[in-house]
Amino acid sequence: MTRWLLALALALPVAGWADELTAQQSAGQKAFAHRCGMCHREGGTGTFVLARRLGAAQSLLEQRTDLKPEYIRYVVRWGLMNMPRLSRVEVPETDMTDLVAYLTRPRPAAAP
Amino acid sequence: MKLILPPGVSHARFDQALAAFARVVGREWVLASDEDRETYLDLYSPGRDDSHAASAAVAPASVEQVQALLKIANEYRIPLWPISRGKNFGYGGAAPRLPGTVMLDMGRMNRILEVNDQLGYCILEPGVGFFDLWEHLKANKIALQLGIPGNGWGSVVGNALERGFSPAGDHSNNICGLEIVLPNGEVVRTGMGAMGDGKAWPLFKHGFGPSWDQMVVQGNLAIVTKLCLWMKPADEAAISIEIKLPKPSDLQWCVEALAPLRLQGAIEGLVRLTSFQASVTVPTLRSQWHQGTDSIPDDVIAQMMQRMNVGWWNGPLRLAGFSDVCEANLKRVLDRLAKFTKQEFPVTRMRGDAQPGPTTYPLQMVNWYGGRGGHIGYSPVMPADPKLVQEQFERTRRRYQQFGLDYSGTFYLDGRAATNVNLILYSKDDEDQKQRVRQLFQALIKDAREQGYGEYRTHLSYMDDVAASYDYNHNALLKLNERVKDALDPNGIIAPGRNGIWPKAYRAHRGVL
Repeated sequence: MTRWLLALALALPVAGWADELTAQQSAGQKAFAHRCGMCHREGGTGTFVLARRLGAAQSLLEQRTDLKPEYIRYVVRWGLMNMPRLSRVEVPETDMTDLVAYLTRPRPAAAP
Repeated sequence: MKLILPPGVSHARFDQALAAFARVVGREWVLASDEDRETYLDLYSPGRDDSHAASAAVAPASVEQVQALLKIANEYRIPLWPISRGKNFGYGGAAPRLPGTVMLDMGRMNRILEVNDQLGYCILEPGVGFFDLWEHLKANKIALQLGIPGNGWGSVVGNALERGFSPAGDHSNNICGLEIVLPNGEVVRTGMGAMGDGKAWPLFKHGFGPSWDQMVVQGNLAIVTKLCLWMKPADEAAISIEIKLPKPSDLQWCVEALAPLRLQGAIEGLVRLTSFQASVTVPTLRSQWHQGTDSIPDDVIAQMMQRMNVGWWNGPLRLAGFSDVCEANLKRVLDRLAKFTKQEFPVTRMRGDAQPGPTTYPLQMVNWYGGRGGHIGYSPVMPADPKLVQEQFERTRRRYQQFGLDYSGTFYLDGRAATNVNLILYSKDDEDQKQRVRQLFQALIKDAREQGYGEYRTHLSYMDDVAASYDYNHNALLKLNERVKDALDPNGIIAPGRNGIWPKAYRAHRGVL
């Protein structure tokens, strides 16, 4: 039960902010859904393995606030643990820039 | 990954070739940095990265660009290895057989050209993923079904060309017409497509005269630029029968019970019987169950089965089609099973179109040992005979135990043949274990050959070994394939070494890893 409440608490601010994405962040959100979502949304392999390694709170990349642009770029191209590397054909540089903008977008401070 | 040049090509000539490629596709789509090369390595390889390292990749956006790239590749003697989306995990991913090969990444050619629900087919470019086609069907409310393999991340075209399969059956059986570019740049359409405006291209497989689709499947004679694939209309109803058998020896009677029903058509798709392991490796880590470096022992297996609520052999068995036919076939199946066991088999009825979408969920299994993992599969094809299947399972499991690896096997029965997919999981960072994996693989090839069974598909590193096991009349079929290869591709530029077929220019690389 605690885990569900935590998930809900994490999900709410993001939902509230979804409407306020910039054009580039919005393009990044689409790119995320298309290029990353199969593994890195709810129920995906990446989400599962991240939960195993870092805990449930860190498992959904779209909710993370600690991802840095260089880190995202590195993991996409060089892989991480069992994540395959993605070429510039699969994630072109334009998508990468949008993805980084989306995953590193400013977030409101967590509710007290 | 540092640059490994194509054999016999100087650095200067290589750079000239890349510059020529760039004039065709644009500089952005020639991928030749260390980082680019890294993205085409086989992440899950049990061997060394440099055994199958690409020198670069080039990504065309049109048939005309493919033609132009082939012309340059011929001129500069640059081998090109086509990949659709490069997700051939367990078999080599996006990597080539021969180090220094340039990947021809078809991922930018990703159009869904047509989906026809009246006549049940689609026409696709190689870059279309299962997820893309799935989304297209949902968005346009098209009532056609898609056979989706365990890894739904890959290309529909690439999967069919590799003879990938799902419980719906062998996907290459659904290929009905190709557009291909020959090594000399000539574009050919197969089957009825040879008429150019042939209206039955995606409808009738053979056209007039010899049929070429299967010459291209798993081969290296041409680059596929369009593929017509049959799709089945959505079923009205489906019934899932939960097969959960407690003992390893239950495999034999279950095959005896179900294979005839498959042959007679009461069961339409493949009958899949999977060992307990498949249900355990995805959601849990090995260390939760067993610490030893031996193959997981029987008492631990018993705990796994109990805690994960799985049998030694597991279904489900799916019946699908018209509702009344499904009900009649359900009775047939249950009556037949009752002749062999008193066990009850839970039945779930569902809508026929309630098909799960593409997923990568099963890929989690590579985390089995924790850390960086890998997997390869050894998958011989054999008769769907109950006694032979049981013997194959027991022989294979003994080999896993001999090399201290965890058995994970599945038998897919199509009524006549059984494809025995044996999954081998390992830690990428355990050299001793990877050595044992390679030994197990060689032992399995040898065992299967002795029984007269051969693999349907294999990893890059084993293509020569498996090709050699098809050895009638001094490997006459391989020699035939290579004569055809040399005739159509005199410079040997398309996928040298694919499935053991080496053009004369690179034949000295056979068996070299």
